[in-house]
Amino acid sequence: MNKRKLLAGPYLFWSVSFIIIPLFMVIYYGLTNDNGDFTLKNLAAMATPENLKALGLSLLLSVISTTVCLLLAYPLAMILTNMKVGKSSFIVLMFILPMWVNFLLRTLAWQNLLENNGVINTLLRFLNLPTIDIINTPYAIVLGMVYDFLPFMVLPIYNVLSKIDQNVISAARDLGANSFQTFLKIIFPLSLPGVISGITMVFVPSLTTFVISDLLGGSKVLLIGNVIDQTFTQGSDWHTGSGLSLVLTIFIVASMILVAKYDKEGKGAAF
Amino acid sequence: MPNKLIDIKNISKSFDDNLVLDDLNLYIRENEFLTLLGPSGCGKTTLLRILGGFEKPDQGRILFQGKDITDLAPNKRQLNTVFQKYALFTHMTIAENIAFGLKIKKKSKSYIQDKIRYALKLVNLDGFENRYPDSLSGGQQQRIAIARAIVNEPKVLLLDEPLGALDLKLRQDMQYELIRLKNELGITFIYVTHDQEEALTMSDTIVVMNQGYIQQIGTPEDIYNEPQNAFVADFIGESNILPAIMVQDKLVQILGTNFPCVDTGFGKNEPVDAVIRPEDIDLVKPEDGIMEGVVTHLIFKGVHYEMEVTAHNFEWLVHSTDMFPVGTKVGIKVDPFDIQIMKKPESEDEEAAAADE
Amino acid sequence: MKKTLQKIYLALILILLYAPILTLVVLSFNASKTRSKWGGFTGEWYVALFQNESIMNALYTTLIIAFLSALFATILGTMAAIGLQATKKKLRSVFLTIANIPMLNAEIVTGISLMLLFLAFRMTLGFTTILLAHITFNIPYVMLSVLPKLKQTDIHTYEAAQDLGASPLYAFFKVVFPDILPGVLSGFLMAFTMSLDDFIITHFTKGPGVDTLSTKIYSEVRKGIKPEMYALSTLMFVTVLFLLVLINTAPPKKLTKEERQKQRKAVRISRTIFRKVVPAMLVIVIVAGGFFYNSKQNFANGSNRVIVYNWGEYLDPEAITMFEEETGIDVVYEEYETNEIMYPKVESGAIAYDVICPSDYMIQRMIDNDLLAKINFDNIPNIKNIGQTYMEQSRQFDANNEYSVPYCWGTVGILYNKKMVKEPIESWSVLWDEDYKDSILMQDSVRDAFGVTLKYLGYSLNSTDRDELYEAQELLIEQKPLVQAYVIDQVRDKMINNEAAIGVIYSGEAIYCQQENPDLEYVIPKEGSNIWIDSWVIPKNAQHKENAEKFINFLCRPDIALMNFEFITYSTPNTAARELIEDPAIRNSRIAFPDASELEGCETFKFLGDKNDRIYNELWRQVKSK
Repeated sequence: MNKRKLLAGPYLFWSVSFIIIPLFMVIYYGLTNDNGDFTLKNLAAMATPENLKALGLSLLLSVISTTVCLLLAYPLAMILTNMKVGKSSFIVLMFILPMWVNFLLRTLAWQNLLENNGVINTLLRFLNLPTIDIINTPYAIVLGMVYDFLPFMVLPIYNVLSKIDQNVISAARDLGANSFQTFLKIIFPLSLPGVISGITMVFVPSLTTFVISDLLGGSKVLLIGNVIDQTFTQGSDWHTGSGLSLVLTIFIVASMILVAKYDKEGKGAAF
Repeated sequence: MPNKLIDIKNISKSFDDNLVLDDLNLYIRENEFLTLLGPSGCGKTTLLRILGGFEKPDQGRILFQGKDITDLAPNKRQLNTVFQKYALFTHMTIAENIAFGLKIKKKSKSYIQDKIRYALKLVNLDGFENRYPDSLSGGQQQRIAIARAIVNEPKVLLLDEPLGALDLKLRQDMQYELIRLKNELGITFIYVTHDQEEALTMSDTIVVMNQGYIQQIGTPEDIYNEPQNAFVADFIGESNILPAIMVQDKLVQILGTNFPCVDTGFGKNEPVDAVIRPEDIDLVKPEDGIMEGVVTHLIFKGVHYEMEVTAHNFEWLVHSTDMFPVGTKVGIKVDPFDIQIMKKPESEDEEAAAADE
Repeated sequence: MKKTLQKIYLALILILLYAPILTLVVLSFNASKTRSKWGGFTGEWYVALFQNESIMNALYTTLIIAFLSALFATILGTMAAIGLQATKKKLRSVFLTIANIPMLNAEIVTGISLMLLFLAFRMTLGFTTILLAHITFNIPYVMLSVLPKLKQTDIHTYEAAQDLGASPLYAFFKVVFPDILPGVLSGFLMAFTMSLDDFIITHFTKGPGVDTLSTKIYSEVRKGIKPEMYALSTLMFVTVLFLLVLINTAPPKKLTKEERQKQRKAVRISRTIFRKVVPAMLVIVIVAGGFFYNSKQNFANGSNRVIVYNWGEYLDPEAITMFEEETGIDVVYEEYETNEIMYPKVESGAIAYDVICPSDYMIQRMIDNDLLAKINFDNIPNIKNIGQTYMEQSRQFDANNEYSVPYCWGTVGILYNKKMVKEPIESWSVLWDEDYKDSILMQDSVRDAFGVTLKYLGYSLNSTDRDELYEAQELLIEQKPLVQAYVIDQVRDKMINNEAAIGVIYSGEAIYCQQENPDLEYVIPKEGSNIWIDSWVIPKNAQHKENAEKFINFLCRPDIALMNFEFITYSTPNTAARELIEDPAIRNSRIAFPDASELEGCETFKFLGDKNDRIYNELWRQVKSK
């Protein structure tokens, strides 16, 4: 039996080499300057008004898009669960299928849809309706985030919901709860692990994206991801970039801990 | 006899062209321990779910104390269910589980506290208030499920194979526990099981079901001693079911040999089925028996020996406290009142329909 | 009622999910090269797709990396899951936390951390590093789908198999493995999908000449996506959709038993086809494609190659093919979007490029920082075709004409739509005109944005005077609410499609735009502007210097220079080539070849020193984040 433990060996080696050491490199770069001396300047770089603003805006947009995703995905997952179709049924797969088209292209296609002379506005004009003017604004970015990350919210919630024993729901009804009470007291609490992993899987990429803001924000909206990306690829300032990454990581860890507090039993269920 | 509490009238239900209940009629009296017994797929659980309000029948009505409750939502019924796999709320403590129904009914805190304590005492699980269901054994979870149902003081408790997942010893303990509970609470139990021993032990009334039809309704003694057809006979306990011909009143020809019996009212030379319980067969010396056979198998079963006796090309199952080694020639003797004569059904459907009157 | 509402809700979300995909499909049949204009129906992009080597290479790289990384991740992840199952609970939870890091952490941090690692260990960024990175972030997905299955598996069956005489390995493969196989497979599929869709981590760990579809698309975004890419994604989407439909053709209800049995058999057969045959074919195709690709790679890996680092769409691919055929030298081609993106890559030395095409001021910076090698002009006889004026101009950043060979030149000016702008534009001031709120496209690069503003204020665009810079910054911040978007090359598409009235643009792009939309007019404002030269240089760490010189010499040939001019429409300093232009309108175009009077107020960018560079960057970032 003990030999089985050895099977984890290669992965142990792998995770040390490609997860732990790289993270320490970020920490090292983040805490040193060009001469290799210790400094906190790189961490403090986050405190400049511009970076703080970018971070604040990132937080705001990611909270909004996570909330919107949750509000859209939960009813969707419930409807799918109630349809009582298998996990691999066509309708469920329909929601995963878009992921097979490159997400940059999908996001880019929103430009076509949203532009002033884009598909949607042309259609609205044709119908004599007011046009929507959200391209190159934070609204378009939120839309892009919701669009790109919605499946990551739907899947975990759907998985948890479809695993809930039908008898448990019957039991609640049997004990006198109406359907709303049943949802509030039984279904929703039981689906929390799925909700939490959904939130994690939407919040983190939204908080750190630089692609969506690039494509749909017309480079007018600077998110913290853009700042870090530009510091590395354009400014070539690895120390500051690492410092900013460190602060960002701390933010992510903090928000995860905050979220996990509500996950009493620690039963994460991503997929 | 107490009044009818629940009246089930002409209930039919099918799932995807599959008829599960066919025009079923049944009434349940107050304070009765009624068991729905039958093999899986016989429709007993569906009937229970219709009573609980989780399924709507295609046809027919359910009357509760004379009022039609067919379309009433589950949460509005004065029935509570104990589910097969307990269906405890894993995200709540035991106390929260038990308090669930009471909180919905907005009972006072002190009332709920009292009820929890009372219910836990009743199921012998005092002090479990703050544990989570996951940390309990199957038997304990079962008892919590019962406690959770009874604190709501239902008129009827529906139990869906509640002991199915427990081991033998625990199951037997729980059987007595349930009888005790029923007597203390003084309410009606409707119990679903496929375990005939369980049904015989606990019930006031047993309803044997098969393929959506009621096969026989009766007390445990009736059902055991006088099965109305081969299905019931076969399903309840072990028995020898033999093709036979009714020669005349009080005389039946089994495997070519005439046996005296007590049944009357069959036509002359009418083909019938004869049921003889294994413990009702006496093995005697070859010359003293009605029929002669050879012991072909022998197993010690504790309280008795189980033997197979081959006679007239039929393998008779015999339970006896006397032991006859394999190869012994024996005589088979049966007392006339131990032979149960049943009509031979012409088809499967008729077999079922015959018992549905 | 409730059912209908639910269906409407489902439909709405599906529309949201599929609208962009439908758009892509439509675009793949659009005859116009411009994304925003419908030019009639065509299937030519589907043909062109299979001839487009760079897209096909990116596709195969993507598929091979997805396949290999999913495979390795599945093996490592499954082993790890089994191993972890046997370890103590505490150790296991530590392990799982570490395993989840790549999944929970920001992709950008994961990508950066891996990049730092690879560079610290002097690994050449390329195929291998992408693969390693993908395996790393794929493993948690595999473990996540294998672990639950392992938990369900009865450990006693494994022991029973050993009890019956099976070796542990045999017992595992015969007893445990079939149980967890569904988890392993879905883990593999998940890893494959994740790898396929990844951009950010690849972005940070990739090297020259290697592109996945994602990075390829990202580098094309600023230029406008090639329509072949739409065709490819349509094909991929349709393939997956087809597979899905194939497995989901459920037998119709209400059949006799016999028919149902027959149906079931058919379903079973189609299931086998799907589960065994189709994946097998997929693997064969991928592996075959891989060999095809690899054989090319191996070839290219030989010493006889040249690594070119150039602006996006700044060279006719046909010219590369010709060069390869004529010289037998393989060209590894990599593109960048701005000088600022190019510079750090060269400076870090992580990648040894052989020939690069930076702009004037950047060349000066590279010379100052000792990054460039002197070119041996004996190997470039075609230098004679380059006009003397341009060689003179080059002295501003390359004092002795030792390091660079002019390739393209041009000006920065304003492109405007005559239908949307009332009066002819003469001054930069129009960029601050409230009337054109949300109709102005501004360049998304530091020097261009500041250069334009400084010129408008009457200063030099090489100013290092703090007060002047602050004044310019003020003005840029003031301008921000009026700006529709900060773009680089997208200005082209947007102007053609009448999305904006005014755009700051390079003269070369202006010619193309005018061809597509005759309403557009280009002007060099009276305050003066930037005149720039992009020249070929050879970095000091080049591995194939002679090949690089051969490449430069080839590009200076009049016929090749003409080809490139026609392809990229940027002014060529190659006077011999200009004479070859057939259309007199273009040969004498004032946009392509403005006369000296128009260039009076124009300046070339100079390198201002690292410190001033940092100040510029900082000021620009402040503008952007306002």
